[in-house]
Formats: sequence, C-alpha cells, structure tokens
Amino acid sequence: MQDTQPIHDLTQLDHTRYKSWPFNQDICLTCALCASACPASGIDALDPRSLVRQVGYGLEDALVAERWPWICTMCAKCEHVCPMDIQIADMVRNLRGLRDRQNVPGILQQGLEAALETGNNLRLPQEDFVFIVEDVGEELAEEAGFENFKVALDKDGANLLTTIHNKLVNTHTEDLKHFWKIFHAAGESWTLPTDNWEGTNWGYFTGDDEAMKTMVGRIVANLDKLNITHLLLPE
Amino acid sequence: MLSVFDLLIDYIKTGKIKLDKSRVKDKITYHDPCNYARKAEMRLGYGYYDEPRWILDQCVDNWVEMYPTRDHQLCCGGGGGTLTNGYNKERIQYGRLKMEQIKATGAQMVVTPCHGCHGQLNSIKKEYGMAELEVKYLWELVADCLVI
Repeated sequence: MQDTQPIHDLTQLDHTRYKSWPFNQDICLTCALCASACPASGIDALDPRSLVRQVGYGLEDALVAERWPWICTMCAKCEHVCPMDIQIADMVRNLRGLRDRQNVPGILQQGLEAALETGNNLRLPQEDFVFIVEDVGEELAEEAGFENFKVALDKDGANLLTTIHNKLVNTHTEDLKHFWKIFHAAGESWTLPTDNWEGTNWGYFTGDDEAMKTMVGRIVANLDKLNITHLLLPE
Repeated sequence: MLSVFDLLIDYIKTGKIKLDKSRVKDKITYHDPCNYARKAEMRLGYGYYDEPRWILDQCVDNWVEMYPTRDHQLCCGGGGGTLTNGYNKERIQYGRLKMEQIKATGAQMVVTPCHGCHGQLNSIKKEYGMAELEVKYLWELVADCLVI
C-alpha cells in the first residue's frame, strides 16, 4: 500500500509473473471485452474470445495450425481489459511455440537459426560488420561538429555496451547515426561489440524460450568480457 | 541495465546534451510501443509513459496526444514478428485503426521509440494515403535537436 514508487530496481521484479498458470483459460467469463479491445479482431475472422475458449475446450492442435497466433501481435490490449486477468498474449506465444519449427511462417525461424549459429540474424561475417559500422562512422565524422567521431569497438571498461538491430547494418545504416550523435555530444564512453551484437531476439516471436536465453546470455557474456556494467538495448 | 528513456533524461537533466526547441516545426504525435508501455506495465510492473513525453517536451512545443493513448494505445500492427512472418495483407489491415488515430491528430510527424513500430508505420502509411507522414525514432528527434 505504501509502495507507490515507480519500480526502477530490477531486483524488485517478480519473474513468476511471466508464466501463465495452468488452466488460466478456464476462468474466462466469455464477456468478449477482449474481442472488443483487440485491434486485430475480424482480420481472418480473428477473435480472441474464441481463441481462449478453444484452448479451454482442448482444441489446441487446431489453434497451433491456425494463422491467428501469427496475425496477433501479442500487444495485450485484450488482457488489459480482461476482468479475469487471463494472460492471453502469453497464451498466443505458447501456441506459437507448439508449432513444428519448419512450419514457423515467413523468415522468423531462418533468422533465429542464423542468429544462433552466427550471432546475428543476417549471417553477417564479423569483417563485414566492422567495415559497415566504420564506414558509417567515417561518414558521420565528415559532418560539422562530429569531426573527431570514431566508432568504439570492443572497448574494455566502457560505461555503456550497445547492441544493434540488424536492419541498421543492412538496409537502414543512416539510422545508426542518431545515437552516435547523442553519445558524441554527451561525451559518453560507449562501445559496440564486434560479435554477438544482435539486439533482436526472434525467439520471442517464435515462442522459443531456450533460444531467447542463448541470445541474452551472449549479451551478458559480452558485458562480462568487456567489464561493462551498463547495457543499452534500444529494441 | 538502463532504458533509452532513463539515459536520454539523464543526458538532458545533467546538461550533457543541449537541445534547441525551435528547430523542428512540424506538428508531432507520439505512439506508445506496446512493449515499453502497456506490456511493460503489466509484465514488469512499470510502463514508460511519462518519460518519453517529458523528452518530447524538451524537443518541441508542438506535440499532441493520440486518442486513445498511454495504456489504451492501439498497437501499430508491426509487433510480435508480423513484419517478417509473411502475413503482409493482414499486417496492413491491422494498421488501419492506428493510421486513422494518427490522421485524426492532424500531425505531420509521428515519433516512437521502437524499431518495430517505426518499420510498420513507414511501411503502411502510403496504403492509407499518408505517404507524407514523417516517422521518427524518439532518439532521432533528440539527435535532430542537438546543439553541437
């Protein structure tokens, strides 16, 4: 009651809140507030109430084969209004995770496998990554006010380790510069690792907790290796 | 670990960076990404609603809220891997309410601190006759306002 301060201390977080408890779906009152709140209701006949009821009826196999869990973005509008606090977004993610890996739609599984095998979704070799970021860094150094700018790679003891969304070293390299400009102006001691720099974690999308742990573990290993205490993960 | 918001607020409050509020003239609106806002609040106990708005206040005078907003904000349709799962027709349809929300504000620019939202909004704007809408990362707006 007295604890009304915003939670910034991560040690206060209760990680059991990530887990749906068994038979969560069975307390559904069928009120359909979820269906009314969902921005995707009606797309491909998607109906979150129906999804919850189907899980309750044991029609899990049909849902695993359905397109619904993949059209849903897991935005949690549904459970935000649910009077019974059913964790519908997690239910959707669990359904995604139950699908055979070769039937995960689009490029999600290929990207994830690439990340697990090579450290990034693009299978971008380390020398190509270094070439791209240094090239963009040299471009920035040509702008007025950023003459001394240099990309800090694998800097031991930096204040801040940053990760990169793979599209920033692929089709959107200009977007690398915004944070670099801010770091430069702030005089920040920052660095970018030359391996395991991937900031996305597609195991989140495919419902693969083990893959997520591996990706997060590599970021933590980079923090340890470079003796850095702060991680900035703008993803 | 720190959030992008905490870091930018620290830079501004301690004077490490200075921002010029007169530079960006466009009318701006702000999109709350599900994972920093509603979902962070529900899963982690804290949603970043006020921090990005404070940062916007340091960059510009002319910004407006969408309706609904904050924890009731509508998802853009680009989350959960939908930009890469191949269901593009469905993803574009998903974004219709979001684009109507933005259109109703009369803003020329939408600012968001999420790679997924940024990609989705840019990808679908032309589908809804809003090709001129500028989509910016929150940190891009900050970089644009930097006094060097």
